[in-house]
Amino acid sequence: MAAQSLPGRGSLARIETFWGYLFIAAPITGFLIFAAFPLVASIIISLTHWDLLTAPRWAGLDNWREALSLSVQPLPFATDEATGERLFRCGRETVLESAVAGFADAVDPRTDRPIVCEARTTQASTVLPAGMETWFDFNIGENQYVVGAFDPVLWEALFNTLILMLAIPISLGLSLALAIAMNQGIRGAPIYRAIYYLPVILPIAATALIWLWIFNPDYGLLNYLLREIGLPGNINWLQDRNTVKPALMIMGVWGGLGFQILVFLSGLQAIPRHLYEAAELDGAGGWARFRFVTWPSLTPTTFFLLITSLIGGFQNFVQPYIMTAGGPGNSSRTIVMLIYENAFRDLQMGYASTQAWFLGAIILVITIINFTLARRWVFYE
Amino acid sequence: MDSSQPLQTAAAPVPTTPTVKPTRQANRELRALIARIIAYAVLTFGALLMLLPFFWMISTSLKPERGVFSMPPEWIPNPLVFQNYVDVWERTDLARGIFNSAFIALVTTVGEIFAGTLAGFAFARLRFPGRGTFFGMLLLTLMIPGVVTLIPTFILFRGLGWIDTWLPLIVPLLFGSAFAVFLSRQFFMTMPSELEDAAKVDGCNFLQIYWYIFLPNAQPVIATLFVLGVIARWNDFLGPLIYLRNNDLFTVPLMLANLNGGYESQWTLLMAGSVIALLPIIIIFIVLQRYFVESVTLTGLKG
Repeated sequence: MAAQSLPGRGSLARIETFWGYLFIAAPITGFLIFAAFPLVASIIISLTHWDLLTAPRWAGLDNWREALSLSVQPLPFATDEATGERLFRCGRETVLESAVAGFADAVDPRTDRPIVCEARTTQASTVLPAGMETWFDFNIGENQYVVGAFDPVLWEALFNTLILMLAIPISLGLSLALAIAMNQGIRGAPIYRAIYYLPVILPIAATALIWLWIFNPDYGLLNYLLREIGLPGNINWLQDRNTVKPALMIMGVWGGLGFQILVFLSGLQAIPRHLYEAAELDGAGGWARFRFVTWPSLTPTTFFLLITSLIGGFQNFVQPYIMTAGGPGNSSRTIVMLIYENAFRDLQMGYASTQAWFLGAIILVITIINFTLARRWVFYE
Repeated sequence: MDSSQPLQTAAAPVPTTPTVKPTRQANRELRALIARIIAYAVLTFGALLMLLPFFWMISTSLKPERGVFSMPPEWIPNPLVFQNYVDVWERTDLARGIFNSAFIALVTTVGEIFAGTLAGFAFARLRFPGRGTFFGMLLLTLMIPGVVTLIPTFILFRGLGWIDTWLPLIVPLLFGSAFAVFLSRQFFMTMPSELEDAAKVDGCNFLQIYWYIFLPNAQPVIATLFVLGVIARWNDFLGPLIYLRNNDLFTVPLMLANLNGGYESQWTLLMAGSVIALLPIIIIFIVLQRYFVESVTLTGLKG
């Protein structure tokens, strides 16, 4: 800077410092009020019970214990009190083990299917710590186990959120393929780009309405198209536990594809042509060129998209909130939905803050892991 | 993005053939042609799938109320019923919602751009103690998931008596945003210093240098921040959802969510409402399309 060589640099530097602090005052104040303060405050709030109507009560780690406690217990088989013999459920009847053989060839008269006998287990509540409810059960060989939590809905919501994020790799793969297609020097690429990008900029509240109608079981477009191509088109997309997540994922891919295509395209266009020419002179075919030129050059782009999609995916809220309200049951309830409900419907600010920090910590850990793993596969020039 | 390593690994083993045979040349052109045809086919098929929901929305919005229950569906309704648009416009407050959304989006975005570019200018061109530390602090904000700060921020605004006003949606952005600071700093750092030096010699202070020299030249950054800001605020759902109670203050997304509850399965009205709600954004998108593309080049590559 020219000013450095002039006399009186000291006062000029003071003037520059003054203006500098003045200019950054607004964002720094904003940072303190809307980032630093809430970040610290939410930890403190997570240590209280607070309904906003009465003064907060100190809770210590109660909220954290309630949110995070898990317990895995073996689930013993139910036995007959008199004989000690194991109990089985065959169809709708409960029978002793010795009677199971009698059902070997039995057929349920109502469904015409063979009756299956299963060992009955004791009630999960008898083996779990007091206050815990079943999250899920599983078996290893013959032995049954139950996983209990004070707040199984939180864990279910975490599970749902993760399952919905399985759309991310699908979406990344699709958008990479489409971006490569757009990069083949074809005409009308800007029009294609605009079409794919359009859903990205539209409010999810509006596009969710369109998709609600598309997923309508009786008159919706999707079931109609499925019938047209000869598939069973009677799927109750959003009211069935098994299809509600795929349905939300379909809409999610549709809504996010365009952004990823655009980012991949700008990555593709930044690859120097001479790399391809050199690869071609070496006789590299299409796959080899992709494998050794395109993909390494695109790894930073992919990494950027992966990180941002994961952080966004963990905070999935609007789409399930409008389309399913978390149902059926809790099968599409996401963590942020749960936090929203706890905080603003049930006014449990302390517990909701705990959940929010739990989610924040998960995101932080996943991001750190990603940056660590990035050294192995992300290729910087 | 210049990656030279694959070149080396690929070029090392075999010396290249000195002449390329004509047949090989033709072969290559044929393969490029086939690749292009496949690209067209895939892109067109995908584009149709992408547009199908919009077509379905418009088609439904032009049907008579019972028309949606006919199977197979009528793709182009006969007759076209425009009454749905009139009905939904009269029965709801979408006009007010559009005004509310537009007002909030414009005020916040203009504020964000001014505060953000001013700080970005300071971080890029001025020297003062702690510059790097302050900038690093702001960058941290970009990493904080919004949900972690949501509850204390709500309690803060509630304490100020701002619930059921637009203030919680507007005021935070008047302080600028870390994103705007970051983007404009990166841009200002690349600008040549001659103009700035000349202005200093002429006795301009730093505010004047920012206002007369840097801001007018920051058009790409401003346009990018503008489109991204307006879209983000227009589409914001969670903020209006937790802060607004009074229907008169509702933004478009909130109204649409209410419409869904209020007009259960009146799909013709719901779709007409969606078309109206989407139109302003689609118009902005068509007019300012190139800035959306630029925004990705500006942000994505540096991210």
